[in-house]
Amino acid sequence: MHDIGFMEGITDALNGAAVEHVSRGEPEWLRERRAHAWDVYERTPLPTTKLEEWRYTDLKRKLDLDALRLSEAEAAPDDPEAWPERLRKAMDEDRVAAGHLVVIDGHVVHTDLDEALAEKGVVLMSLHTALETHEELVREHLATEAVPPEEGKFAALNAALWTDGIFLYVPRGVRLEHPIRVTRWVSEPGAAYFSRTLIVAEDASQVSYVDEVVSDPLERQTLVSNAVEVLARQAAQVQYVSLQRLGSGAFFQSVQRTLAERDATLDTLNVGLGSSVSRVDLNARLLGSGGNSDMLGLYFGDQNQHFDFNTSQDHVAPNASSNLLYKGALDGESRAVFRGLIRVHPKAQRTDAYQTNRNLLLSGKARADTLPNLEIEADDVKCSHGATVGELDSETKFYLMSRGLDRITAERMVVLGFLGEVLARLPLGGVVEKVTRVIEEKLAGHG
Amino acid sequence: MSEAPILKIEGLEAKVADEEFPILNGVDLEVRKGEIHAIMGPNGSGKSTLAKVLAGHPGYLVTSGSVTYQGEDLLDLETDERSRAGIFLAFQYPVEVPGVSIANFLRTAVQAHLPEGEEVDLFEFSDTLTERMQMLEMDVSFAERHVNDGFSGGEKKRNEILQMAMLEPSLALLDETDSGLDIDALKTVADGVNKLTAQHPDMSIVLITHYQRLLDYIKPDIVHVMMEGKLVRSGGPELALELEKEGYKDWRPEVAAPNTRADADSAEA
Amino acid sequence: MPQNDTIKDLNLDEHRYDFVTEGKPKFRAEKGLSEAVVRQISEHKEEPEWMLEYRLKALDIYNKKPMPTWGGDLTDLEDTLEEIYFYVRPQDKMERSWDDVPDEIKDTFEKLGIPEAERNVLAGVGAQYESEMVYHSLKQEWEEQGVIFDSIEDGLKNHPEIFREYFGTVIPAGDNKFAAMNAAVWSGGSFVYIPKGVSLETPLQAYFRVNSERMGQFERTLIIVEEGAQAHYIEGCTAPVYSTESFHSGVIEIVVKDNARFRYTTIQNWSNNMYNLVTQRAMVEAGGHMEWLDGNLGSKLTMKYPSCYLLGEGAHGEILSIAYSGNGQHQDTGGKVVHVAPNTTSSIVSKSISKGTGRSTYRGLCKVYEGAHHARSNVECDALLINDTSRTDTYPYIEIDEQDANVGHEASVSKIGEEQLFYLTSRGIPEDEAMAMIVRGFIEPIAKELPLEYAVELNRLIELEMEGSVG
Repeated sequence: MHDIGFMEGITDALNGAAVEHVSRGEPEWLRERRAHAWDVYERTPLPTTKLEEWRYTDLKRKLDLDALRLSEAEAAPDDPEAWPERLRKAMDEDRVAAGHLVVIDGHVVHTDLDEALAEKGVVLMSLHTALETHEELVREHLATEAVPPEEGKFAALNAALWTDGIFLYVPRGVRLEHPIRVTRWVSEPGAAYFSRTLIVAEDASQVSYVDEVVSDPLERQTLVSNAVEVLARQAAQVQYVSLQRLGSGAFFQSVQRTLAERDATLDTLNVGLGSSVSRVDLNARLLGSGGNSDMLGLYFGDQNQHFDFNTSQDHVAPNASSNLLYKGALDGESRAVFRGLIRVHPKAQRTDAYQTNRNLLLSGKARADTLPNLEIEADDVKCSHGATVGELDSETKFYLMSRGLDRITAERMVVLGFLGEVLARLPLGGVVEKVTRVIEEKLAGHG
Repeated sequence: MSEAPILKIEGLEAKVADEEFPILNGVDLEVRKGEIHAIMGPNGSGKSTLAKVLAGHPGYLVTSGSVTYQGEDLLDLETDERSRAGIFLAFQYPVEVPGVSIANFLRTAVQAHLPEGEEVDLFEFSDTLTERMQMLEMDVSFAERHVNDGFSGGEKKRNEILQMAMLEPSLALLDETDSGLDIDALKTVADGVNKLTAQHPDMSIVLITHYQRLLDYIKPDIVHVMMEGKLVRSGGPELALELEKEGYKDWRPEVAAPNTRADADSAEA
Repeated sequence: MPQNDTIKDLNLDEHRYDFVTEGKPKFRAEKGLSEAVVRQISEHKEEPEWMLEYRLKALDIYNKKPMPTWGGDLTDLEDTLEEIYFYVRPQDKMERSWDDVPDEIKDTFEKLGIPEAERNVLAGVGAQYESEMVYHSLKQEWEEQGVIFDSIEDGLKNHPEIFREYFGTVIPAGDNKFAAMNAAVWSGGSFVYIPKGVSLETPLQAYFRVNSERMGQFERTLIIVEEGAQAHYIEGCTAPVYSTESFHSGVIEIVVKDNARFRYTTIQNWSNNMYNLVTQRAMVEAGGHMEWLDGNLGSKLTMKYPSCYLLGEGAHGEILSIAYSGNGQHQDTGGKVVHVAPNTTSSIVSKSISKGTGRSTYRGLCKVYEGAHHARSNVECDALLINDTSRTDTYPYIEIDEQDANVGHEASVSKIGEEQLFYLTSRGIPEDEAMAMIVRGFIEPIAKELPLEYAVELNRLIELEMEGSVG
């Protein structure tokens, strides 16, 4: 196993030495890749609000990269008794799974996988282990096609500094009845965590994957950075779910790219509930005819939370479809940004693409900015988008209250109904209940 | 009847342009002046396809056979030329044309049917339109609505018959005009068609329908049964009653055509 | 004087207004933009000192501001600007009656149908030939009501107090690079003042055209609609086709006071080598009602986003726009509505048609500031694509700071459906006519808002453009 403990004399800041440090003992190609990524990182200026994609999230004010250092935590034992209570609680709420993987402070401390599936060739393991057992696959896909460092400042930083990650491989024709559940925990205030997820689903395979990240409140800014690459080969069916429940103080940053080949279905759900700042860049590429991506998003903001979702539906091949629905409710002084793009390339005839973003403002100080964009270069397409920002419908509220519900119950019902539409489209066991419970807790704080 | 048929279809085979399997597998049919034919058959037998092919729908490709209309090769004509030559198709699913009023649409269509250099007399047009709308029990304000935009099923079908009344075709193909209509609406539409045929005894009609009930109101001279892309049996009005009672089960062509797209009609819906 | 041999480049079948009339400009400043040119313009117009200072300050801002990097492709524009005459003045004195207008200019107007229009419906015509008003008539009763409909120059000369109070307040010179350029070299345009409570039935119309090769036009219009007043202003532009690129950069400032209603209609059909970069904005006070009706058919590139700033309680803003982009054209248009006060409402309806290699972009902003309680806004954009080489983009910015706001945006992209075309042709209508019919139906919700003669003209233009699109 790879040891990422720090040696004396090595600076703990995010710099070239840190890159050297994390790449010790790695194969040459990976060391080169990291060095290249660092080079890209250094050459890429920090995005400012002058860039369209960062117009509403001012990194200068929201993130102090210089104050961060790489996490120094030792690997926790593979013993649930020793794990933090909130982490265990999060896992207890999960229902049946095909396999589990637990990441504590950047270390993969536990994996288990249904034996029958392992026999069929399904692989679920830490990325470091995969470097030893599945080097060719990792080499082919890691930070190459899906999220190369050139994607942006954060993609480069992540590709240079990732300390561990998750590798899931589903062989041709293998179908997983139950989801793979990943639970992550972070605990060091002021640390930066860089992790990668690589999922390869071969032809006609099927898998659901739920990645939940949890923490206590963090008294200093803590960066949790993920780069996620999901490949669905021909006719594969993949569901990727990200459930973000970090404590205040966290800056959650996730760059995700999904590649759907011919007749593949690649659905995603991003749930944003925690963290002070959350930025998700999701790019769904439809590479093959007959490909389909349902892209779902749900967020509930309160206090000073800031959510920024930047999505694109990239139709490269003809006859593919994508359908995006992002819905959020905003309370307190929270703020949400949704920026979506449907891009239909000139050859992508008979594209069917939809994009909807709906926001519910629950407080006078909340704010929503939404930019649903279209760029269409093929003429035989069906594309539409819609965006709304509004408050709770008073008629609905009145109707419910006229049946005897008090105001708070009525409001709760309307909000849950509003957000429930998203969950109903991807009703994975455990996720719906958990998300509903957290929203209810948040709503309890709504006066 | 020694007179030459107005429409003569021989061995007609056709398929959806970019698909492999044929939907029409050799249709033969002769329609004479003033005759009313009914083509019945189960879903997917190719009835609607036949109507669309005759009207010149660009999505279908004729692979074999011939269609002679008034002595000329119909398949040589573009869709609009066929209309001007007197063929009218009442659509099963009339298309919405937002922003274009019925009055404007019909005036343009009537104008297109006039010989080169002749102009529509607007007063006459308006009088005719009002009269035909009254005949179909349509409110005059209907003319200002956009073509089929937001229409109910019944309104759409009535609008089709209104267009037929205005264009006064020699051969009308009514594709499932009865579908989606309640009995009152069906009677109004059938009354309209009957009044038109009374005014124009030479007008030939091909009714395409799934059910017998339309034939209670519009009496056909000849009834055909269509199965798997072919007319497998023809007879008098009694044939329709027989079908209604016994269903289509025993009517398959002796040698069933292979590779027929069984769901052709429903897939078009 | 440009040689009229360029006329051989014209395709008279396609462009109804593509003709060139021989004109004899009386004065023309040197090419390009410099302090000397700005001073020359101001001196020629015998302007007060403050205006010269204003122009020079604006020139300074213009020089400091970078070219916008968003919107359309402006890479060739810098070279174009070097070659432009920033000021051309065809005549020395204002014309009061039609008889005084020189025959060659009359000839141009006659081809455009202006005199008939005047005889029939139009009450007052402010017609702009090249950079300045040469012909201007105003109906007697309006003068009696205190309505001012003047050239912008006469507005400055004859009504200096009102002029100075409002000029540059709606769109300051620093608003954007092209507003700064206009502020430095503006010439021509209208000055309109509608006094309190006055309601005009017939629209005010200004028809103008650019007719001199390599000449930019920088018209400036200032309109003040006092409390409770009502009026409609129509501006239409056409330009002949020239071989080199041309440039137009206008600034339109409008103030709509309490409970006043105003509509501004533009149909631009600039020749397809024209850069058309226009800033138009209205400040709408309490209970006021502002409508922009914006048609963009011509030009090589248009960047124009009419805007309404809803400053007073209950103010309403409306933007209706149609864009047509044919081969090589890019219409980057849309609208902005900014809600500052409570109970303000707005709507944007945009329809675009892209044909051949044309590209239509909707770019819009709906902003609701905190405190603009119960603001309501609705945006609808529909794009129609005619060919597989056509392109459309939609960039709606929606920024909401107020909880009880209610804001919606819907957009769709479609092509002319095969079924729709079959349906129409099956009724005997030839295919290109059917195509034009569908397009007309598509823009009907906006076209029906136009005065009849404009709607007819728009339909004709669409028909001409649709000819030969089948195939």
